[in-house]
Amino acid sequence: MQNALASPDPALDAVFAALADPTRRAILARLADGQATVSELGAPFAMSQPAVSRHLKVLEQAGLIARKVDAQRRPARLKADRMAEAADWLDQFRKFWTGSFDQLDTVLAEMKSAAERNAQND
Amino acid sequence: MTDLPEYVLERQFDAPREMVWRAWTDPRLLARWYGPNVETVIHEFDLRPGGVWLNEMKWDGGSSCSRADFTEIETGARLVWHHASTDRQWNVASNPMMPDWPRLLLTRVIFTEASGGTLVRLSQTPMEATEAEIACFAKMMAGMDKGWGSGFAILADILAEMQSNST
Repeated sequence: MQNALASPDPALDAVFAALADPTRRAILARLADGQATVSELGAPFAMSQPAVSRHLKVLEQAGLIARKVDAQRRPARLKADRMAEAADWLDQFRKFWTGSFDQLDTVLAEMKSAAERNAQND
Repeated sequence: MTDLPEYVLERQFDAPREMVWRAWTDPRLLARWYGPNVETVIHEFDLRPGGVWLNEMKWDGGSSCSRADFTEIETGARLVWHHASTDRQWNVASNPMMPDWPRLLLTRVIFTEASGGTLVRLSQTPMEATEAEIACFAKMMAGMDKGWGSGFAILADILAEMQSNST
């Protein structure tokens, strides 16, 4: 986790905030299948286009998606790098204590065999 | 107080309780396992209420410092400290990567004899935290179980898909 913490990146907070919403996660899952327009994205949620647009804006500001500026329908598509960073950070956090505990297991095994050797020598 | 988010990790270790306690409280042993895949340097370790553990983790070209201010010590059974990331002068500092990460985490470790070994229960909750800090921690903790798991699973799927597409 510490390697990831080394490079300051406040924007990552926006990524987690964006991902905290189930509708936005569903939108991302849909975009994983390919780019889509606002009306295509709104259909499965029975959601108004302005509501979908607001969610897309949050995702876009977090850097999780990109939208074509020139095209009239402005289809949205996933951006990979941000997501990889977020997944990496979470993953490293999750691994901090579990990884340490794995190492503690090893240290304890060594302590036990040292104690047994001492007992035999006595 | 009761609705504060809490991170809990329980693990059974195949060693007697006094040995597990020693691995946690002898700084030479602690430095060998604390912090995954990094070099851990313990600058100070004063095991008493009011005492402090100053910890540095080093890796290629970087390091990260933290301090633990001990508040309760019950030999062989219970360790409680206030955990904080710090600058190099050991002043509490917010996390540059996650500005809303709680600056202080109340950390409790409980050691219990169980099934011929030792059960260690580690828990962390935000202390003196702002609403933003509590919300940030809650979000991350939900990631430890199913709540955030769905979001994380989606991320994992998407990343796997992108990797297979790029090969």
